[in-house]
Amino acid sequence: MGSNVINILPGTSKGWGGSISASSVDVFTLELADYIEKVSPSVKRVVPISQGSSLLIKGNFNIQATIIGTNADYQEVNNYNLALGQFINESDLDTSRNIIVLGSELAEELFGNNNPLGEKIKLFYQRRDYLFTVIGVMEEKGKGLTGDLNNQAYIPITTFMKKLSNSRFVSYYMAQAKSGKEAAAAVGEIEYFLIKYLEDEEQEKFNLFSQDQILDTISSVTASLSLMLGGIAAISLLVGGIGIMNIMLVSVTERTREIGIRKALGAKNKNIMSQFLIEALSLSGMGGLIGIFFGWLGAYAIAQAGKWPLVVSPISVLLAFGFAVIIGLFFGLYPAMKAAKMDPVDALRYE
Amino acid sequence: MLEVKKVKKIYQMGKVKVEALRGVSFYIDKGEFVAIMGPSGSGKSTLMHIIGCLDQPTEGNFIIGGKDVSKLNDDRLAEIRNKRIGFVFQQFNLLSRTSILHNVEIPLIYAGVKAKQRRELAKQALESVGLADRVKHKPNEISGGEKQRAAIARALVNKPLIILADEPTGNLDTKTGEEIIKIFYKLHRQGNTIIMVTHEAEIAR
Repeated sequence: MGSNVINILPGTSKGWGGSISASSVDVFTLELADYIEKVSPSVKRVVPISQGSSLLIKGNFNIQATIIGTNADYQEVNNYNLALGQFINESDLDTSRNIIVLGSELAEELFGNNNPLGEKIKLFYQRRDYLFTVIGVMEEKGKGLTGDLNNQAYIPITTFMKKLSNSRFVSYYMAQAKSGKEAAAAVGEIEYFLIKYLEDEEQEKFNLFSQDQILDTISSVTASLSLMLGGIAAISLLVGGIGIMNIMLVSVTERTREIGIRKALGAKNKNIMSQFLIEALSLSGMGGLIGIFFGWLGAYAIAQAGKWPLVVSPISVLLAFGFAVIIGLFFGLYPAMKAAKMDPVDALRYE
Repeated sequence: MLEVKKVKKIYQMGKVKVEALRGVSFYIDKGEFVAIMGPSGSGKSTLMHIIGCLDQPTEGNFIIGGKDVSKLNDDRLAEIRNKRIGFVFQQFNLLSRTSILHNVEIPLIYAGVKAKQRRELAKQALESVGLADRVKHKPNEISGGEKQRAAIARALVNKPLIILADEPTGNLDTKTGEEIIKIFYKLHRQGNTIIMVTHEAEIAR
């Protein structure tokens, strides 16, 4: 799916007693799809989609699949290529043929390494059997937000509506804006048109979901997650900082005599101060480096396990290291000052 | 060259005032070898601290090399200690974690001498006390006598106006103590001014 795709979903009618009924409002017809396409200048095309779950059967083997009834444009809107054969074309739609295009996983499960083109499979939908001929296999695709695309099969929407669902209404529309820049305008146009057309001021009969909106939702979720992780990191830094201060205070006390000797030999307060500050800084800087190494290692391991790409942004690495050093500076300051202010006579007498 | 003028030092111990020095005055010339003697509690240490610029008198003046240091701030005092005074302690007071050479280099570091020159000067000072073969050793790897010689080298390295030795033989056996005293005699013959706190009347004579 590109960023210029807008999903137009029927609204859910409100049920009794404040509960929301799952049944959708029946308003989306094939004709309405064409109509939206015609009246919205920023919309390139509107693809109607009927969706249902069905069992695909070949011989003794069966598999659960999502059946998508759609038209020829589906492929382009979703930027989805074929691995084998061909997709649904206009004549398939006109004649409501029983042809099917399989997702890559379905093809592999049903046919293994054999060529599925031209083979017949049974489609078991709402207690009735239909015989379909395989005309194509889609290429493998990563998991999308809407589920596993490789587990879907595609049939002409006319076939779906006339034979399977026996309904004039489709499940939803997928609209494609002319470009990513025009997506927002397209949303506005569709919204305006549907409000007028359906006389639906409250927007109860339809919902629009653009990719941008979905991305917005996801980024708001990740933003709150980042905030939480940031909070945990801040507490860790505080605890680590107090740890550094503690260690440095012990070190200063333990080395009181050394401080006395150095002062007797001519060390100024600032010399002692910088000596202990540098120690605190190298302590926290080393910690920062070790942390970056293990952080990267952890990210790598998780990326490997989840088969995600590994992205370690240099900014976050710099930020983490910078923070470690700043913490070292901040919490090293007090012990260093304490060391610098020691009286040389008392420090020399210290046992 | 070194003048103590009516120096008083009063410590405030809670509510009680303790007078450690009650108006001491004396003058030491360049090239003198002076011994300070007295029973414990007589104020020897306090006097040493004031002469060593580790502490300042409550009243009176202390002048070293023509400079009154009794009213100087911490940093100025540190400079005086660094450039004009060489300390030799009873406890040696070497830094145990670093080599003898580095120990001798410390006063030069604070004087801002460059690394290469620093090493040269430290080696020369160690040679002059007969420790040329011990430069790489750590303090706990050498004997007490050698430690005190290293400490003397450290006191000498910045060519101070006075060498201040606080019971330098107090932690050594008689024989090594004598060797250390011989080094001080030698330094005195070379023109150094030495002030030594000691218990041993023989040295004082």
